[in-house]
Amino acid sequence: MSQLTSRRGLLFGTAAVSAGALLTACTSNESKDEKPAANDQPAADDKPGKQVTVGFAGPQADHGWLNAINENAKSRAKKYSDVTLEITEGSNDTAAQIGQIETLINKKVDVLVILPADGKALTQVGLKAMRAGIPVINLDRIFNTPQAYRCWIGGDNYGMGFNAGHYIGEKLKDTADARVVELAGIDNLELTKQRTQGFDDALKNYPNIKKVARQAADFTVESGQAKMSQLLQAQSKIDAVWNHDDDQGVGALRAIEQAGRDEFLMVGGAGALSAFQAIKQDNGVLKATVLYPPTMAASAIDLARALGQSKGVGGLAEYEIPTSITLYSAVVDKDNIDQYMSTGFR
Amino acid sequence: MTQHASPPRGSTDKVQPVGPLPVWRSLVARADVRTLSLLGVLLALVVVGGITKPDEFLDTRNLQLVLTQASVIGVVTVGMTFVITSGGIDLSVGAIVALSSVWATTVATQDFGFAGVLFTAVLVGVGCGLVNGVLIAYGGMVPFIATLAMLASARGLALQITDGKTQIVNIDGILKLGERDSYVLGIPPLVLVFAVVTIIGWLVLNRTTFGRRTVAVGGNAEAARLAGIDVRRQRLYLYLLSGLCCGIAAFLLIILSGSGQNTNGNLYELDAIAAAIIGGTLLSGGRGTITGSVLGVLIFTTITNIFALNNLQSDVQQIAKGAIIVAAVLVQRRTASTT
Amino acid sequence: MAPEPPLLSMSGITKSFPGVRALDGVDLAVQAGEVHCLLGQNGAGKSTLIKVLAGAHQPDSGTINWRGEAVTLRSPIAAMRLGIATIYQELDLVEHLSVAENVHLGHEPTAAGFVVRQRTARASTARLLERLGHPEVDPARLVGELSAAQQQIVSMARALSHDVRLIVMDEPSAALDPDEVDNLFRIVASLTADGVAVVYISHRLEEIRRIGDRVTVLKDGRAVAGGLPAKTTPTRDVVALMTGRNVEYVFPQRPTAAPAGAPVLEARGLSRAGEFAPLDLTVRAGEIVGLAGLVGSGRSEVLETIYGARKPSTGQVLVDGSPLRPGSVRAAVRAGLGLAPEERKAQALLMLESVTRNVSVSTLSRFSRGGWLDQRAELGAARAATRELSLRPDNPSVPVRTLSGGNQQKAVLARWLLRGCRVLLLDEPTRGVDVGARAELYAVVRRLADEGLAVLLVSSEVPEVLGLADRVLVLREGHVVHEAPARELDEHRVLDLVMEGSPAS
Repeated sequence: MSQLTSRRGLLFGTAAVSAGALLTACTSNESKDEKPAANDQPAADDKPGKQVTVGFAGPQADHGWLNAINENAKSRAKKYSDVTLEITEGSNDTAAQIGQIETLINKKVDVLVILPADGKALTQVGLKAMRAGIPVINLDRIFNTPQAYRCWIGGDNYGMGFNAGHYIGEKLKDTADARVVELAGIDNLELTKQRTQGFDDALKNYPNIKKVARQAADFTVESGQAKMSQLLQAQSKIDAVWNHDDDQGVGALRAIEQAGRDEFLMVGGAGALSAFQAIKQDNGVLKATVLYPPTMAASAIDLARALGQSKGVGGLAEYEIPTSITLYSAVVDKDNIDQYMSTGFR
Repeated sequence: MTQHASPPRGSTDKVQPVGPLPVWRSLVARADVRTLSLLGVLLALVVVGGITKPDEFLDTRNLQLVLTQASVIGVVTVGMTFVITSGGIDLSVGAIVALSSVWATTVATQDFGFAGVLFTAVLVGVGCGLVNGVLIAYGGMVPFIATLAMLASARGLALQITDGKTQIVNIDGILKLGERDSYVLGIPPLVLVFAVVTIIGWLVLNRTTFGRRTVAVGGNAEAARLAGIDVRRQRLYLYLLSGLCCGIAAFLLIILSGSGQNTNGNLYELDAIAAAIIGGTLLSGGRGTITGSVLGVLIFTTITNIFALNNLQSDVQQIAKGAIIVAAVLVQRRTASTT
Repeated sequence: MAPEPPLLSMSGITKSFPGVRALDGVDLAVQAGEVHCLLGQNGAGKSTLIKVLAGAHQPDSGTINWRGEAVTLRSPIAAMRLGIATIYQELDLVEHLSVAENVHLGHEPTAAGFVVRQRTARASTARLLERLGHPEVDPARLVGELSAAQQQIVSMARALSHDVRLIVMDEPSAALDPDEVDNLFRIVASLTADGVAVVYISHRLEEIRRIGDRVTVLKDGRAVAGGLPAKTTPTRDVVALMTGRNVEYVFPQRPTAAPAGAPVLEARGLSRAGEFAPLDLTVRAGEIVGLAGLVGSGRSEVLETIYGARKPSTGQVLVDGSPLRPGSVRAAVRAGLGLAPEERKAQALLMLESVTRNVSVSTLSRFSRGGWLDQRAELGAARAATRELSLRPDNPSVPVRTLSGGNQQKAVLARWLLRGCRVLLLDEPTRGVDVGARAELYAVVRRLADEGLAVLLVSSEVPEVLGLADRVLVLREGHVVHEAPARELDEHRVLDLVMEGSPAS
């Protein structure tokens, strides 16, 4: 009996070890055509100046777009011989992020770039940095007060919704009684409300179009698939879908495929590489996506460098960089896809 | 004082035979008040759905949709039911689903094709369950803490593997399983897997020594130990089983979403626990019902479906979901106490 | 009796639960300053009646008069406000709070309405404990660290912290040693001297005779006798009222020849640090060996160590001459040992399950075909085993929690009978078992021994050990102080040994 047990144990052990080895090999995600998701735009073409140390603090990169933010910042900093990037590990916990930023303040970095997990909650630490004489570039999620940052740069959620609505409106303006559905993002985020508001405002210009349904997913593939399949079941015929986020769009496209539906066009949001590729191939419902460009992180590095070297922004007449820069949410479709392909994030 | 306010156990209780009976009779006998009231709740939901959206709700495709959406969380809930019946808890199920789904969809794993993905998903689930089980059964850790630790590390590892990116699946054999061409007699393959897991789960819990030992450990671990049951080994197997269910669920999720993502399985632990408890499994252990758990899952999925079909927004959905949980439990308690 | 109205009079109290009429028109009258004993078998309605009195159950009909006025006891708090306190058998104390915190739970002395005044609470608790004759209990200690007897004192202190006029005590002596029982009786006497009435529930008839004033006997939810004089009513009459038949409190006949077989169970130099000193012990097939001793003498610990539930510090346990793996219950069970533990509900029974499943739990693999349970065979085997022990009701499919204490014990015995065990370890086998059912249980144990089982019996009731066992070991403070055939001992001798005998050399 005991002999049997031990042989069984041995077999099991061997199996476990070899399975473990196989599994370990399987964590690799390197593929042959891997290329860092970043921008190809030229860096500022001036001569290297004084050395600038830029501190960068963002939330946990648990989502494609946030991960692209980090990568954009890193690869941009690498292009400048006079920029040193101090990047913290991301955190979604307000207290933890405050701690990380305070560490950067104590290290006396020259400029701080902060993408707060929660803009309102991190206002105080932004103020603290400013008072300590460290200029802050506030990225995307805005602080409570302009005193907490030297410059804010971020996306335009309202504009994103508006441009998506405008694009769909133009495509459907000749369709009588057009029916549109909206697959929103996490509903308790303000940006979701803004995107929906912009979308609704744009559709008001097209009396023939009616938004017949809206469901909120939560930026995950899983929720995108679940919510989209319910939407399709609820609406037997639609003309267009606007989806707030390309990550959940992967699931939404899967649901559309599973339901065997193709009578409508779909517009995505954010600018993921997979979405770009689908748009370029043009063999599915996804016809366009509205950018919420992660390249803003690269621009933030440019701004930080300029601040550190007391320069303005090239191409503008100003001696100082502006206080606030709102990015344009461009619509990317088949016509201009090649221009944006390299900015697509995974 | 509250413990004395409840009706006394002992001779004043109604005598309910619980022994083995012929299968059909035992099914009737086991369809106790609790299960019947759950069926009542589900029926009421069907009526609501049928009245508000007759065309969209009462439709084969919608039935397929609801059952498909229930499959992933349903498989997880079957495993969870075993763990809770044994007096334990597994908070790591969602994280294990996430880790299995991303580990099984890396570029390297996908090189091994269909079998590689399936094998990896299941093995990662079992591996995580093994760690949980060893920590709890032989390391003496409280299940709540051990599985909470697993939740954190598995999510972290999943994030590390994906780097926050969505991993698209390119294997046709897997993708096809989620599409209409693969339906067997109108039944989606995912639903078939769910049904098979449910039936096996029911049989194991009600008809095998393993199930009996699970109930004994949950009902009174000390008595089980003194009766000569190897309580620790049983606990190890139970967390292993829960991990296995998570691995299977992860594979189903890969089929369903055509991808792996580290955010998968978000809050599965709460959904699975809620479904099991609503179904009639005692959170303190000693009584478990697979039928009830599956009904609990179906009730949740049907609610979500009806809300989506009626285009109600998530705020309303959440409020109503909470209210329905409370109502379902109250209805059960009332009907259980008046008979 | 004084002509004034009784402190409490309950009349025509009826209470039904689904399927069962627990109380059927019960009358109870209690005078101030008396000890009123409530007697009855398990299921006679005693606990339902005291729960009605405590406000935990609402009666379906009937009236309650308190000091001459009709009252309704809507909740335990309402009862407590009137001055009715109840000390339950399973003490309702919070283990992780201190003695003082438990005593004042729900009515803490406060400053500014919410700040607990710890010092005041401790001082008043200390006064109460002193009044109860236990000044050594520290009000600051955690209740979980106290002995059962001390916890009971705390429970009483809690009752007395209210302005109490009637205390209900549900089997207060069940967990106590003789000297602690004496102290309990002193407390009861001082309470009644102050005019407080005590409703006293006990299985032990001799206690009722010692402290009781009057007796009310319940049977099947009815009061079959009310207000009998406790000191003068013959025991036989009381037992007859309780059981409805005359029961001889008899023990089965011992076999004429002492069993001379080879020892089945043997302990050599077995000890556990801090619990019991090294001891040797043998039990032969067909023999019943008794371990007598007070609570804390180490008797249960000896049993649990033999069973492998505790790991021995020294020594070994042998079955049929081959040693068992120490500290392994599974090894013991495999070798043929079976334990019927003291705390049946906590340590032996699966209360939510049927009798069948409780009986078969140690034998599951026998009904397993590749993991699959043959439930028909299981039910049949359980039925055979429970019939052999005349377990009532004769339906192994009923939940085990619906059984009386004696039948629950039989279910545990049936478990080991079914397993075919060779050594039976019995720890307080008749705790919580009715007087009427005990004789039957004794007969079962003797019959099992006659069929060749080796039985090791632990009991705090000396007559039980003397009446049932063939050979007796007397334990005191972890030492075996005497060993002799049971027929050479009597109760006085054993009590002497138990309390003050010196370890035998």
